[in-house]
Amino acid sequence: MTTPSYPCPYCAAPFGSHEALKAHVVAGHGAEPLPKPHGLIALTVNGERHEHTVEPNTTLYTLIHDRMGLTGAKMFCDRGACGSCTVIMDGRPVLSCMTLAIECDGKTVETIEGVAAAKHPLIETYVKHHCMQCGYCTPGFVVTAKALLDKNPDPTEEEIREALAGNLCRCGTYPQHPRAVTEAAGLLQGGRHEKG
Amino acid sequence: MKNFGHVNAATLEEAVSALRRYGNRAAVIAGGTDLLGKMKDEVLPAYPEALINIKTIPGLDFIRYEGGTLSIGALTRLEDIATNDAVRNGHAALAEAAHRTASTHLREMGTIGGNICQDIRCWYYRNPQNRFPCLRKGGGRCYAIDGDNRYHSIFGGSVEKGCYAVHPSDTAPALVALDATITTTRRAIRAEDFFQVSAAKTTVLEDDEIVSRIDLPPLVGKSAFVKFALRKAIDFPIVNCAAAIGLSRGKVRSARICLNAVHVKPYRAVKAEEAIIGKAIDEAGVESSAAAAVAGAKPMSHNAYMVPIAKAMVKRALLGCK
Amino acid sequence: MKKDDRERIVAPEHTVRADKYPLDDYTAVGKRVRRKDGYEKASGYAVYASDIQIPGMLHQKILTCPYPNARIAAIDTTRAEALPGVRAVLRYDDPELPPKADLSGHFGQAGQPHEPVLDRCGYWQGMPMGVAVAADTEEIAREALKLVRIEWEARPFNLDPVEALKAGAPLTNPESYPDGNFLLPFMHEKKVTHGDADKGFREAEQTIEFGMRRDQDTWVGPERPCGIFRWNGEYPEVWLKHQRPHLAKRQLAQFFKVGMSQVTVHCPYQGGSFGGWSQMALNMQPNVIAGILSKRTGRPVRWQFSRREDFCGAGMDNARYRVKVGFKNNGEITALHATSWFSREGLSHTDHFVENSKVINIIQESNGAICNIFTGWAIRCEQNMNCYCFSAVMNHVAEALKMDPTELALINDGCEGHAMADIAEWKRKRGFEDRDSLRECIKAGKKAMDWDAKWHLPGMKKLPSGRMHGLGMSWAHEWGDSGGSAAIGIRIERDDGTARVLGLRCDNGVCAETAYCQIAADELGFRYEDVEYRPFEEAGFAPMTPDSSTNLAVNGWAIRNAARRLKQKILEVASLPRVTERPEMGYIPPFEGYRPEDLDVRESRVFVKKDPSKSISMAELVRPAFFMGKMDVGSTEPLFAWGWQNQQGAYDISGPPGPRPIFVRQAHFVEVEVDPETGGIEVTRVTNANDVGKAVNPDAVEGQQYGGSVMGVSRVRTEEVVYCPATGVVLNGNLIDYKINTMLDCGLIDTIIVETAMGYGPYGSVGIGEDVASVVPFAFYAAVHNAIGKWVDLPATPDKVLKALGKVQEAK
Repeated sequence: MTTPSYPCPYCAAPFGSHEALKAHVVAGHGAEPLPKPHGLIALTVNGERHEHTVEPNTTLYTLIHDRMGLTGAKMFCDRGACGSCTVIMDGRPVLSCMTLAIECDGKTVETIEGVAAAKHPLIETYVKHHCMQCGYCTPGFVVTAKALLDKNPDPTEEEIREALAGNLCRCGTYPQHPRAVTEAAGLLQGGRHEKG
Repeated sequence: MKNFGHVNAATLEEAVSALRRYGNRAAVIAGGTDLLGKMKDEVLPAYPEALINIKTIPGLDFIRYEGGTLSIGALTRLEDIATNDAVRNGHAALAEAAHRTASTHLREMGTIGGNICQDIRCWYYRNPQNRFPCLRKGGGRCYAIDGDNRYHSIFGGSVEKGCYAVHPSDTAPALVALDATITTTRRAIRAEDFFQVSAAKTTVLEDDEIVSRIDLPPLVGKSAFVKFALRKAIDFPIVNCAAAIGLSRGKVRSARICLNAVHVKPYRAVKAEEAIIGKAIDEAGVESSAAAAVAGAKPMSHNAYMVPIAKAMVKRALLGCK
Repeated sequence: MKKDDRERIVAPEHTVRADKYPLDDYTAVGKRVRRKDGYEKASGYAVYASDIQIPGMLHQKILTCPYPNARIAAIDTTRAEALPGVRAVLRYDDPELPPKADLSGHFGQAGQPHEPVLDRCGYWQGMPMGVAVAADTEEIAREALKLVRIEWEARPFNLDPVEALKAGAPLTNPESYPDGNFLLPFMHEKKVTHGDADKGFREAEQTIEFGMRRDQDTWVGPERPCGIFRWNGEYPEVWLKHQRPHLAKRQLAQFFKVGMSQVTVHCPYQGGSFGGWSQMALNMQPNVIAGILSKRTGRPVRWQFSRREDFCGAGMDNARYRVKVGFKNNGEITALHATSWFSREGLSHTDHFVENSKVINIIQESNGAICNIFTGWAIRCEQNMNCYCFSAVMNHVAEALKMDPTELALINDGCEGHAMADIAEWKRKRGFEDRDSLRECIKAGKKAMDWDAKWHLPGMKKLPSGRMHGLGMSWAHEWGDSGGSAAIGIRIERDDGTARVLGLRCDNGVCAETAYCQIAADELGFRYEDVEYRPFEEAGFAPMTPDSSTNLAVNGWAIRNAARRLKQKILEVASLPRVTERPEMGYIPPFEGYRPEDLDVRESRVFVKKDPSKSISMAELVRPAFFMGKMDVGSTEPLFAWGWQNQQGAYDISGPPGPRPIFVRQAHFVEVEVDPETGGIEVTRVTNANDVGKAVNPDAVEGQQYGGSVMGVSRVRTEEVVYCPATGVVLNGNLIDYKINTMLDCGLIDTIIVETAMGYGPYGSVGIGEDVASVVPFAFYAAVHNAIGKWVDLPATPDKVLKALGKVQEAK
């Protein structure tokens, strides 16, 4: 995704963000700050800042999946009942299909691609324990599990099952997930209680 | 999802004035988990012209105890209530109700204000693209009466031959049992008066009225919440029940019992309360109280099975207060 | 090529040979290896058809019928056509549409392979029909459909097969079935008899009769069906979610009258299908329409069903049954008369007695009806009716005799009327070890769940919690629907000597691609790490069943055959002088003077059998002979081989290969707790004991066990498509109201693998993917009965449980 260019209406100098342009207009031209265009949002996705102009009906899922090409978030139920589109927003696991992109201005979002790029141990423990069959719901599980471990580095099996109970898997991989999450928790804690 | 206008409100006043500007053609969005589903399915005959986002209003996300009174901001996420140790100790029924709501994700998104203002789940009402223009949408009749009403009211409709959809909230009965007061941009209302319904509404809120906070008085005694649903997560209740009990020398001194998902609004089981007062919370006491709770049930063609479940929920909520 | 191999290829139907080729030792097969698709799927980088976007693509939506049985009396699309952003509208009366087309790829609805592309009539609420729109966005397409003015002729409908078959019932599909609502059963006669049922009933010491029913469930594939159609000039290029992309390609080529060689079909990973949609005409309908609209607009056209539209993807039979069974006091069943009433699919319901027991005096009657509910098709497997009937009979008889059902199972185990003793003889004659598969499965399963200590008579065990405890067991053979042919290729990469398996993407979640690599590695003598299944994405090399029916048991042969041929080629090449004219480039002839049979491959190295110290790596064997400028010139001929398997099924008792195996069994055990106050059922434990012959990939086998258990329990505990009795409209077409189980709804699951090597697949393996989810539901049925002492129809929701317990007062 290329950063949109923001040309100055006074001198045509290009800026990489609306905020930079605003600062320039105030400082360089002594003009009133520009109003923020409707639908312009700035958010941090996987550690990178992005600006997008979105329609009110654009969901966060559509933004990341269709426009940013972060296709790991999947749409299974489209009504908030399956967890496949989960991303982490400001530390909370949220359903991107039930989140309006226009309400994500200033938010920090982490997707499965970010979790994988950070080499989170969950990825390999998920592979090892065969937590996927068709794999369609898997990224949603991993992201939800990651949010859990961020909050609770040493969850019990019951806590893991509770946390993942909003993620549906039609292939029926459920029994494997607590094993993978427990092992990843152990790895994150330096293998102190690796349970394999 | 069809498009709509969108307003980020900076204050409650801004939100209210935006609502007034749109008349009844705008909707308030907080967690959005209920509203967006309705919009995606185009459930209502009229699509909202605009959504007024109140998540941008500071100061509505808090959980505070002051002198035993619990105050919760309307934008407080259900997960934060469910996992708050003070609430779990002080008002257990509410913490448990929040905990048993939906799933982790929905609790992380959904707010307590939204949970009590949520719309009904009736599968006729919610059928996509306004397939059934029912009484509640200004149409002529309730389709559940002649249809499949396995999840509908066992205590009658909103009016005679009226809407038989049940109130689906898990936290609402807890708030009624705990005698909460709901503060809005206009007034303070006791929870049990908040869920008054007409044929088309679930709460007493006016079109330009927004819930801002909820206060729960100190609980003398114990409270409990139980829920029965087909699945242990995601599901709305088939029946749930909250009870708040004050005990004195082993006998029940005060009781507030509220069922939900059995009636068009949270159903305070006054007869059950009367039946348990002065008795011990034991098998005989809860049995007679539970029987009293459902004595007035008038099940429909497919939902008589909800009666024994409601009875069991009352028993278990009471036993949970032991 | 070895003589045996040649025989297999020339006469591939000789599946009797299946078990004659075990390897001496396995380094990859049967081992727990890192799955090839694991990282892609866990990291979110696996690509599914619904992730694909083509620049400039339009979005297609098809009208769905608002009524369960209706005809379009008049239509006006003017307003839809005028909506800005609408690029094309296609109506049922478009001259380009043939009155009927074969779009099914397999079968449409039972008995009706040819259907209109865009029907004027709808036969269930939600059926895509009438009008299709292609527009700039999905929202615009949807809005346009709302602007179509339609005058509907809504007709009477029927949701119940018993009602639909009554005299004078209104016609449910007057266009295709003008004479009545009767539907012939699928692949069998209306009345089927075996043996002499009258005699059997005369011999019986007891006779019982009972009824049962099951309401409709549906598939809920996670990825909603979708496709993109683009015309590259004369050549169609299609991306789709489909379990049978090779058949989709055939249907598209036929419809658009182009050669199959002109069509490109891409089928990437698919988010779970379980046999739904993709075998039906309805899945091809939107692809064909997208092709027409793409041609008209000159733009790629994408379609995807919404979750609600997807609900009619497939539904197992909502059948009712009446069963009469005669038996002796020792548990031997002597006669069976079972009648079914079903809508739509209607597979046999007594086959398992023939294939899987010594019960031989059978009358089966099947009453099929066309109902105004969505199409029936197999989900996970088509054996549900058989499994239900088999389990119900065994468990009802066990109840009548107060007998432990595991004992009753062993008394009645057999095949085609033969007792196990006859079969033992048959095994010995054909060189099999005489292992009693069912006995082994039952023994292992009972031990795992401590059955003997826990089992009790129905309704007799109340737990301290007040709940009723129940145990149920059901069993089956491995029915192995393994007819079909598979083609697969393996190529050696020229520069580094790694192997790449070529076949279309076969992934439906069963870890098959990994298993193919395991077989290829062991057969080639390669390290597992040196073999990859990178899909030859275009639907050309077609392993038999990307739809997963006995996937490995057929495709495993093809890959094994390909690997053996390729290995032979490698050894031949290794013993030849290499292609080179410039030995000064450092060329050393490998294995000069040796013949292929003197050589072997292990750990991806070719070596001399008599002197393993003489060896070279595959990379050295195929490395470039020399460089011509920057171009390298290969030193060996292209190393490629194909394998093929035309499988007609497994062993039949009567000698020639038939569709049914008889040796391999499975037993499933379910433990429940029923809350008598709420009617809630908690499944606390499921134990699966499957004889899989040989577990090529044990992780995948276990995956099918726990996966099948989860789905199996879900589909009979909470899943039910609810139709409004008054309007015929589906009421719960979403994943909030249609309840597939969550992680908290599944108890402990034991996975026990029994390996008797008596299967029809390579190394004596059999399939497993269809089995567990088809048998477990009816072990659950038995467990609920064992808990409360009453039989509860399926799905066993609380209303039915409480009613069975006499706790529901009928409404006034």
